[in-house]
Amino acid sequence: MAHHSGNGPALGVFSQLTRRRLVHNGVLGAAALATGSLGIPRAARAADEINFWATGTLDIGDDGWKIVANDSGVKVNFTDNGNDPGPVVAKLAVGNANDIYDIGGLQGGSEKELARRGLIAPWDLSQIPNYASLWQWAKDIPYLTYEGKTYGIPTVINADSIIALRDKAGSVDSYGVIFDPKLKGKTAMEDAWINSVIFTAIYLKNSENAKIAEPGNLTADELGLVMEFLIKHKRDGQFRTFWNGWEQGLQLVANQEVWVMTGWEPIVYAARMRGVDCYYAVPKEGYEAWGNNTILLKGAVNRGRSKAAHRLVNALLSGFYGCKLGMLRGYVVPTDNNVAYATANSSAFDPARVGKLVEHVKKKFAGKVYWQNTRPDNFQLYETWWQRLRNA
Amino acid sequence: MLDESGGHENVGARWRPTTFLLALPSLAVLVGLGFIPLALMATWSFWSFDPDTYWIKPAWSLASYAALLEDGRATVFLRTAGLAALTTAVSTLLAVPAATVVGLMSGPRRAALLLALFTIPFFTSGLVRAFAWRLVLGRHGVVNNALVSLGIVQTPVEWLLFSDFAVVLGMVAAYLPFAIIPIVLAFARIEHSVIRASLDLGAGFWTMFSTIVLPLVMPGIVAGFLFVFVVAVGTSMEVQLLGGAGASSISIMINDVLRVVNFPLAFAIATVVVTLLIVLITVANRALRLSRLFESLGI
Repeated sequence: MAHHSGNGPALGVFSQLTRRRLVHNGVLGAAALATGSLGIPRAARAADEINFWATGTLDIGDDGWKIVANDSGVKVNFTDNGNDPGPVVAKLAVGNANDIYDIGGLQGGSEKELARRGLIAPWDLSQIPNYASLWQWAKDIPYLTYEGKTYGIPTVINADSIIALRDKAGSVDSYGVIFDPKLKGKTAMEDAWINSVIFTAIYLKNSENAKIAEPGNLTADELGLVMEFLIKHKRDGQFRTFWNGWEQGLQLVANQEVWVMTGWEPIVYAARMRGVDCYYAVPKEGYEAWGNNTILLKGAVNRGRSKAAHRLVNALLSGFYGCKLGMLRGYVVPTDNNVAYATANSSAFDPARVGKLVEHVKKKFAGKVYWQNTRPDNFQLYETWWQRLRNA
Repeated sequence: MLDESGGHENVGARWRPTTFLLALPSLAVLVGLGFIPLALMATWSFWSFDPDTYWIKPAWSLASYAALLEDGRATVFLRTAGLAALTTAVSTLLAVPAATVVGLMSGPRRAALLLALFTIPFFTSGLVRAFAWRLVLGRHGVVNNALVSLGIVQTPVEWLLFSDFAVVLGMVAAYLPFAIIPIVLAFARIEHSVIRASLDLGAGFWTMFSTIVLPLVMPGIVAGFLFVFVVAVGTSMEVQLLGGAGASSISIMINDVLRVVNFPLAFAIATVVVTLLIVLITVANRALRLSRLFESLGI
């Protein structure tokens, strides 16, 4: 893998080697401390073992992975990657993630950059028979391919919108409610531009006739328009807070700290279980669709683990993983294999429940959706603008 | 042991090979884990960052320092310092009477018990502690429920949570022990005969306290002030969990720039903060002789 310092090769190489050496030594040291097994060569590990580095909510636990191992012959060592694409890409680009992990799972959009940098490898779809069972619109997600090759396998998909308290906010059908002065101080958005910027852009494009071509990939001017809009509303005290993570999001709704907020659908289910009458709105402007895609890290190919990685991904699409993940988190693997597996294994999974979940997600995608993009072309500018918003 | 000038002999001032060997591990830790990382941080803050490759390279530049004045970062510096100063002031005001009760008005057993009580906040994680304040200060939290049910307010008070008030309250509750303990230590160094003498000579409690005790415990007060200020400047949990929409602090700002691996800018922010804190501590030490706190230890 080649990196260019952009300011003379000698200095750049020195810098890169120094940092890489530091990271490498750090990992060796940490591994030695943790296992006391510094002398065991990497090659001595089982060839059909895969280190899966993905969003924490994709973990199905030891029992679940055991069944996947029985089906695929691939043992999974799952590690939470924190789900924040910025640090994940950074760890792949300048850290040691490629030395440790074999496949990754992260919100879609970063594939192009990772492929361009040679940090991930294309999937050989002929080794993934279950790929054919993926719903066509899932295969058509932009950002999965680069230069005609497939780098991301859509493993989980869903679409997000607005959580609203029924008795406080009434009937909500637009993102405009988030910016409604009548609800000043009673709204919230997520403290992450990957979601909040696209939600705002979807609203401005569809309800305020703003000249925005693609809400998931804003130009510098479009981004400026969206961020100035958010900064103005922040300064006006429109938002009670920006939330971070599951617990904070749930607490805001469950304790009725906010009456409407953009957020994740599972929060609605959890809040209802706590007795809060809330619902997930169907916005006329459309949903923010997202896919959590599985990527093949270049390190896995270099270590000869490519075939095992393909076998594992094929297993993720075979039905069991979709059923298990659906029951655990309400997520959907975009294939009909879920229902087929549940039907064939009705003692383990309720086919009706699995089918209902699948239909619910399919219904969302029957309408207008805009795909979340974790690595828009101007992502550095997104980061800068988000800092400005926070500091405003 | 008294030296020729009548003061305590400074054992540490003798320069013997044994002393050096004994100090060597501490010196190595101080240099290895303290000085060298700080020096590297300051050095790398002048390197250049290439956003296309994420690499930093030794091409000397002041760009990171110039960026400190962009994108509202200067405001965050001032805001963080302001909130930390307010937290420290409130903590100190609360700590002085609390430490007086522990150090001056309690016997050894009660003092130990009170000190243990003051350290209770440290028994749980800071994250949980800060999050718990949400349940206390929220729209339907303990405080608002009480205010509404007592008829003091008709609707919940919004500014109790997600406000500077909540941030300062959360930080005071968390860091108050840092202010109390140095003052208690300072109280322990006061000869009780001095207090008895002032009372025998007719001084009332407040005269004795303001003219005898307060000057003697002032190094402890300043040390506590600095401890709380340094911790409050560096924290992010209370700001993130209890502050309003997108509230920022220096730590959050550093985290933000590290998301895009801009190490030079992160190091520049950290270098400025560390430098300002070192200057603050040095000035306080010169002005108030904080080293007096450690004299009884023979240092």
